[in-house]
Amino acid sequence: MLEFDGLHKSYGDHHVLEGVGFTVAPGSMFGFCGSNGAGKTTTMRIAMGLARADAGEVRWRGRPLDEESRRRIGYMPEERGLYPKMRVGEQLTYFARLHGLDAAAAARAAEEWAGRLGLGERRRSRVEELSLGNQQRVQLAAALVSRPEVLILDEPFSGLDPVGVDALADALLEQCRGGVPVVFSSHQLDLVERLCDSVGILARGRMVATGTVEELRRRESGRVLRVVVPDAAPGWAGAVPGVSVVSEQAGDTLLDLAEGADDQAVLAAALRTGRVTHFAWRQATLVELFREAVADPAQQAARQEVAA
Amino acid sequence: MSAPLSSGQLVRLVAAREVSTRLRDKTFLVSSAVMLLIILGILVFQAVVNSGSDENRIGVVGDPGALGPALEAQGELLGRDVTVVGLDDDVAARTAVEDEDVDAAVLGATGGAPELLVRESDPTVEGLVSGAVGAVALQRVLTEAGVDPGGLPQLTVTALDESSAAAGQRTAVALVGVVLLYSLIVLFGQFVAQGVVEEKASRVVELLLATMRPWHLLAGKILGLGALGLAQIALIAVIGVGGALAFDVVDVPGDLIGTVGWVLFWFVLGYALFASLFAVAASLVSRQEDLGSVLTPATLVLFVGFVVAIQAAGDPDGTAAVVTSFVPGLSPMVMPVRQAAGDVAAWEVAVAVVLMLVAIALVVRLGGRVYSGALLRTSGKTKLKEALRAGRA
Repeated sequence: MLEFDGLHKSYGDHHVLEGVGFTVAPGSMFGFCGSNGAGKTTTMRIAMGLARADAGEVRWRGRPLDEESRRRIGYMPEERGLYPKMRVGEQLTYFARLHGLDAAAAARAAEEWAGRLGLGERRRSRVEELSLGNQQRVQLAAALVSRPEVLILDEPFSGLDPVGVDALADALLEQCRGGVPVVFSSHQLDLVERLCDSVGILARGRMVATGTVEELRRRESGRVLRVVVPDAAPGWAGAVPGVSVVSEQAGDTLLDLAEGADDQAVLAAALRTGRVTHFAWRQATLVELFREAVADPAQQAARQEVAA
Repeated sequence: MSAPLSSGQLVRLVAAREVSTRLRDKTFLVSSAVMLLIILGILVFQAVVNSGSDENRIGVVGDPGALGPALEAQGELLGRDVTVVGLDDDVAARTAVEDEDVDAAVLGATGGAPELLVRESDPTVEGLVSGAVGAVALQRVLTEAGVDPGGLPQLTVTALDESSAAAGQRTAVALVGVVLLYSLIVLFGQFVAQGVVEEKASRVVELLLATMRPWHLLAGKILGLGALGLAQIALIAVIGVGGALAFDVVDVPGDLIGTVGWVLFWFVLGYALFASLFAVAASLVSRQEDLGSVLTPATLVLFVGFVVAIQAAGDPDGTAAVVTSFVPGLSPMVMPVRQAAGDVAAWEVAVAVVLMLVAIALVVRLGGRVYSGALLRTSGKTKLKEALRAGRA
């Protein structure tokens, strides 16, 4: 288990993290979401020993991370960084050696990863001569080349074209299948939803939601049912117990069901009006969940007042 | 799969990368080659100048007889190697002088009106020949008069400042050494500083610090480039000393080697101090353009030391030279010149070395803290105080 436990960090009076904690199981992928400046990068840098937490710790296999165990983590910083004048192959070899591989193993691993990420022909090029997309691949290769036990990637998908996104996603899924816990941050929530076993949403220095996307949906207060009844008169559902109408437009009705309300009673009421062309629980997208989760409580209250 | 790495291994990995990067850097290779060529050029020039002035071929028409040895003896007095060449007649003498086969030719050497043939007037050769001719004539007259020339008073020479010539030569070697030491400290100090900024500017430092501590990175960089710098100055020293001995530019090989050894020793101390200072200063900025301004103070100290060292060659026991030869930062340039040119007691050298070591220890301790505090602040310039505070946290 990779455990982030009660991380606190402040710079002067500015509290960046106020008790951030989550767990990532081996072989699972954790999507780390949050608005800009929410503290994702700081959390990852604390894990890598690049920033010191005021309180809390990060553990791998039950032990706090130290210099030695960090060497077995593959890391991709938000600010990409490579030696611009060093050749791709040498650079990967160097990073592999810094992670503890001996010279021969490092050279083999560098060659292998350059090949797997489609950089085989650019092995002898200097990094500064590569396109941005290819530099990104080198950066990823630098994180993977040491066969890490854990992957921590800060915004790995930013700046990639769709083909690059797919290649990276495949590489990460493969690492996952190999039993590596993967943590990555991203603003591309569709990707997070597609790839991740669990998601954590960070807002104002706290985890406001963690769990699988499914769990987050279930946790969402109330459940929304969409029913399309073309022949119904307006207000047809108002009488069903525990149901409030969110919106109604020419029979296309969104209903909010309170805890314990019977969806079958709604269906019966709908059938009484005539034809039912659509009846389904509406799946909240991660984007909606995210908006809900990160919304400032003060602002949310204000919005509800306006609505009322 | 991966074995734990010791600090030593990490430092070595960093150092090896620095060395291999520099060894493939064309600018570095060209500048090294130019430096070697300059040293070789100086040696060849010295050798040519020396041989040109130290040797004379003097032609004598007819049998030189007693004049031959007299010319050689006279030459010895004037510090020149004289070779006497026999010539058949006046015509042959003229041709030999015109062809520069000989520097001068003596006609009618044994007669009453000897004549000296030269291409252009050369007072040394003229004095040499006229002295020889005069000596031979005097001897003949004396012998004819029945006086024993051995009874004439002989001049005995006593040199009061026996060591001055050797000291002069040592000073010259020390000066060349200090010029080299200064240039190489500046060059390799710049390499260290540029390397630090390159890592900050390209943000690769974050990836590096995820695997090692700041001091590993700093030590590896300084040791790697330092080894390269030492190798370069040692190579120049070996070629220089070898060349000087081969071309006979110096007279006292022992002195030469001793002086070169001290220059190498002071290079190591000077480099250790200035490379650390440069690295720490460089860690405060994140763009190569800002490097100049933060390096200026340390560069100035280095330059002052250099200027004082040059002056110390003329006045090794002057107050300025004596005082600065103890000041850390200045001593690596002034002390070797004083050691070569003047009288320096062993305790003086020891004090200067200890002071220098203390300074290095201080810079490494405090500087290491600044360096680790400033390294991850990759935006703009970091203030020294902030870096110190961050380094302590």
